[in-house]
Amino acid sequence: MLKESKFTEGFKKAVTKHSTKSLLASIISIIVGLIIGFIFMLVASILKPGSSALGGIGILLTGPFNGLNPKYEIGNLIFYMVPIIFTGLSIAIAYKTGLFNIGAPGQFLMGTMGSLLVALSIDTTGNRFLGILVWILAIIVGMLLGMFWGSLVGMLKALFGLNEVIASIMLNWIAANIITWVFKDSPLHNIGEGKDGYLIKTSLTGNFSPTLGLGKLFSSGNISSYIDIGIVIAIVFCVLTWIFMNKTTLGYEMKACGLNKESAKYAGINEKKNIILCMAFSGALAAIGGALYHLNAGIEFKWQSAYQTLPPWGFNGIPVAFLANCNPLGIILSSMFIRYLSTSGAFLPMVGFNQYFADIIIAIIIYLAGFTRYFIGRIDKRIRDMELARLLEKEKNGLKSDPPNDNVIVMEEEGKK
Amino acid sequence: MEDKYVIEMRNITKEFPGIKANDNITLKLRKGEIHALLGENGAGKSTLMSILFGLYQPDEGEILINGEKVLINDPNDATKYGIGMVHQHFKLVECFTVLDNIILGSEDSKLGFVTRKKSREKINKLMDDYSLHVDLDKRIDEISVGMQQRTEILKMLYRDSEILIFDEPTAVLTPQEIEGLIHIIKNLAKEGKSILFISHKLNEIMSVSDVCTVLRKGKYINTVKTSETNTDELAKMMVGRDVSFTVDKEKAKPKNIVLRLDNVSVVDKNTKKSVVNNVSFSVKSGEIVAVAGIDGNGQTPLINAITGLGPVSSGTITLLGNDITNGTIKERIMYGLSHIPEDRHKHGLILDYSIAENFVIERYLEDRFSWHRHRLIHFENRKNYSDYLIDNYDVRSGQGSNTTARSMSGGNQQKAIVARELDKDHSILVACQPTRGLDVGAIEDIHKKIINDRDNGAAVLLFSLELDEVLNLADRIYVIYDGEFVAHFINNGLKPEDLGLYMTGSKKMKKENIVC
Ligand SMILES: Nc1ncnc2c1ncn2[C@@H]1O[C@H](COP(=O)(O)OP(=O)(O)OP(=O)(O)O)[C@@H](O)[C@H]1O
Ligand SMILES: [Mg+2]
Repeated sequence: MLKESKFTEGFKKAVTKHSTKSLLASIISIIVGLIIGFIFMLVASILKPGSSALGGIGILLTGPFNGLNPKYEIGNLIFYMVPIIFTGLSIAIAYKTGLFNIGAPGQFLMGTMGSLLVALSIDTTGNRFLGILVWILAIIVGMLLGMFWGSLVGMLKALFGLNEVIASIMLNWIAANIITWVFKDSPLHNIGEGKDGYLIKTSLTGNFSPTLGLGKLFSSGNISSYIDIGIVIAIVFCVLTWIFMNKTTLGYEMKACGLNKESAKYAGINEKKNIILCMAFSGALAAIGGALYHLNAGIEFKWQSAYQTLPPWGFNGIPVAFLANCNPLGIILSSMFIRYLSTSGAFLPMVGFNQYFADIIIAIIIYLAGFTRYFIGRIDKRIRDMELARLLEKEKNGLKSDPPNDNVIVMEEEGKK
Repeated sequence: MEDKYVIEMRNITKEFPGIKANDNITLKLRKGEIHALLGENGAGKSTLMSILFGLYQPDEGEILINGEKVLINDPNDATKYGIGMVHQHFKLVECFTVLDNIILGSEDSKLGFVTRKKSREKINKLMDDYSLHVDLDKRIDEISVGMQQRTEILKMLYRDSEILIFDEPTAVLTPQEIEGLIHIIKNLAKEGKSILFISHKLNEIMSVSDVCTVLRKGKYINTVKTSETNTDELAKMMVGRDVSFTVDKEKAKPKNIVLRLDNVSVVDKNTKKSVVNNVSFSVKSGEIVAVAGIDGNGQTPLINAITGLGPVSSGTITLLGNDITNGTIKERIMYGLSHIPEDRHKHGLILDYSIAENFVIERYLEDRFSWHRHRLIHFENRKNYSDYLIDNYDVRSGQGSNTTARSMSGGNQQKAIVARELDKDHSILVACQPTRGLDVGAIEDIHKKIINDRDNGAAVLLFSLELDEVLNLADRIYVIYDGEFVAHFINNGLKPEDLGLYMTGSKKMKKENIVC
C-alpha cells in the first residue's frame, strides 16, 4: 500500500516536470501514430490480398534490421540524419525566436549550390590535404549563401513587415530556380556516366567529406555505406545550438523576443536586429545541412528537376524540430527516429505494402506531435481524476463502514432514481 | 439565521511545487450574500477561487453545492453548476467582438454556422436588467478595461451563473468605474446571485460585502461580518501587524532637472486626434511629481512618449540634458530611465521566463551578469542578485529565483517589477500604477521605498489613478485633462476635493500658473 502511494507520488511529480511531460507526449504520439498506421495497413491488407498488417508493423519496428546487412543500413540511416538534423535545428531556433522558418528548403538549396560550386570547380584529385581545405571552403561558402538567404527573409520581415512565411515560400522557389539556372549550362554535368541531368560527384574532384573510416565500419561486404564525418559535425552543432540558446546572452535575448515581443521592446531589446540575426543563423544551419549532404562522395545532385521540387530535407526539418519540442539535443533523437521509420519503408514491399506507408505513419506521428500540449493536458486530468476517485472511494468506505463498497455504490445509484 | 449554504468549501488544501497555496481552508457562502476574500499577495485567494472554478483540483478537501458533494473537474463542470468567474487577468479574445466573446464556447449554431440573433436578444435583455451596457459590435482591443470587465460579467450572466466570482475586479478600474461596478454587484446580489469578491482595497470591502474571510500565507484566519469590523482591524488580521495608511516623508529637496518636456504633443495614428496637447513640464532630482487625472485623458500616450514605447508628434523631451525625443528605449535606459509599466503582462514580464531571468531583462549585458565579453550569461551572479531582490522586496513564490513568472500571484508579479526597476541604477523612475494589485502591507512598503528613492536623489514621475496614492506621495501634482495639463499644485496637505474640478475638466488654471 505504502509503496504504491510512493510510486504514484513519484510518478505524479515526474509528470508535472515540463521536460518529462514533453518527452511523454512525444512517446504517446509515436505509439498512437503506430497504432493508427497499423489500422491503415489492416484496411489496406483487406483490399489487397497477400499483404499482412502485422508483418508491416513488424517491419516498421525493426527498421534497418530488415536488411540483409543491418550494419550497412544503419550506416545509411545515420548519414541521412545529417540533413534533417540541420534543417531541424534551423527551424527550432527560429521558432524559439517566434518565427516560423518554412524557408529551410531554399536555404538548404543555397548551401547546396555554394558548396558544390566550390567543391566541383576545383580539382584536387590526388592531394587529400588540399581536398580537405577545399571541402572546408565549400562548406563555408554554402553556409554564407544560406545565411544571406535566411537574412533576406529576416530583413523583409523586420524592415517591411512582410510575414516570414510568405517571404520564405517566395524565396524557396527563387532559390530553386536560381540553382537550376546556375547549373544548366555548367560543365559539371555527369556526362561521363551518361547522366546529363545530374552533377558529377565530389569524389571526382577529390573534395569529398572524410569518412573517418566509418563507411568501412558500416559496410556490406565491399560496399561502404554513405556515413561520413557529417554526423559528428551535426551532433557538435546540436550541442553548440543548445549552448547558444541556453547559455549565451544573445540566445536569452532572442528567446525573449520570441516569448513576448512587447516586453522585449520595453526592455530596450532591438527586435529587428534579433529577427534578422536569427534568420541568418537559421539559414546558415539549413545551408550547412545542404552542403554536408551533397559533399558526400557518393551523393549526386539532380539539377535538372531542381526548379520543380523543393528538397524534402528542408520540410522534414519541421517534424524533426517539433517532435523534439524544438530542443536542440532532442533533435538528435527525433531525427534518428524519423530516419528509422523511413528506412523501414524500403522493406515494406516484402509484406505487400508500398514504401509510402512509412511516410504516412511519419506524417500521422507528426500531426500528433502537434497536439503535444493537448495530450499533456489529458495526462494531467487523467491522473487527477484517478486521485479524486480514490479519495472519494476512501471516504465512502470511511463513512459507511460496511466493507463491500460495490453495494454502496449500487445503493446510492438506486437512491438517486 | 438559517444555516444553508450554496457553496461550502471544506478543508481545502492545495500544494504547488515549493508552497502550500491553500492549507486547510474552509469557506461558506450563503445565497444572495456578498462574501469578500481578503489576504496578502500570495495568500492563496486566486488559487482557492480557481479550485472552485475547476481550474485546479484540491489535494485535499471537498466542495458542496447546496449541501451536495460535487467534483468540479474543469470550468465546464463549474458552468454546469452555475459558477462563473471574472479572472484577475481577463481571458478575452482580443480580435473578436464583444458579442462573440460573450457567446464563445456556448454559441448557438445552425448547420455549423454560428447564429447570433437569439444570443444578441438574450444579452440585450441582460444588459437592460442589470444596466450593464457595452457596445456588442466593438472589438475587445477597441474598448476600455472597464468595458472589458463588463464583457466578462455578461459572459457569466449569459451562462446563467448563480454564483459569481470576482477576482480583484477593481484593480484595473478607475474610481468612477469602481463605483459603477459596486452598484452592479449589489444589484446582482439583490437578484439572488451569490457573490465572492476579492479585493485589496479595504474601503471597497467595507462598502460592498456582507461578510469577509481573511487568509494569510495559505491559512484560514477568520470570517467576520463586515458590519462588525473596520478597516484597521481587517488590515491587522490580514498582515498580522498594524498598517499605517499614510506615509511620513520629509520635505523634498529638489536639485537639478532630470526630465524635461517642451511642448510635447502626440497625435493618434488612427483617429488623427491630438491625444497629448502641448505638454511642458520638468521633474527634478529629489522630488516626486505626480500626474493625476481620470483614466483615458492622455496619460498612456504621454507615458509612452516619455518611455519610448510610443511616438512623439512634436516637441522635445530631454533626459539629463540629452535629447531623447526620438531616441531608442535602450538609449533612455542608458541615461537612467526606470519604468514600472501600466500593463504588467504586456510589458512588465516575460511570463515564461523565470523570475531571475526577468530581473535582468534590461541588464543582462552588464559586466556583473555576463562574462566572456558579455557573450555568456553569468548564472551565479544572476541567481545571487535575484535572491537578494526577492528578500528585499518580499517577493513570494514557490520556488524562489527559479519560479516562472506565470505561476506567481498577481501581486507578487507586480512586486517583482517594482523591485527590478527600483533597484536598477536610475536617474528617473516613471512609475505607472506602481501598487496596482498590491496588498496594504506591500503598498506601505513600496511607498516607503519610492520616497527613499527620492531621498537618494532620483527624480520620480508618478502616474496613478488612485488619488490617495497621489496625495500621499507627490511633492508636486499636475492634473491632466483631455491631453492637456490644466492645473499645477505644490502638495502641502492637499485634499481630493482640491483636484476634483480640474480632473473633470470643469476648471482650468491659467497657462502661466502651470509652472514647469
Ligand atoms: N500554477 C501555479 N504553479 C505554481 N505555483 C503557483 C501557481 N499558482 C499559484 N501559485 C503560488 O501559490 C501562491 C498563492 O497564489 P495566489 O495566486 O492564489 O495568490 P493570491 O492570494 O491571489 O495573491 P494576489 O493578491 O497577489 O493575487 C503563490 O505563492 C503562488 O506563487
Ligand atoms: Mg490573485
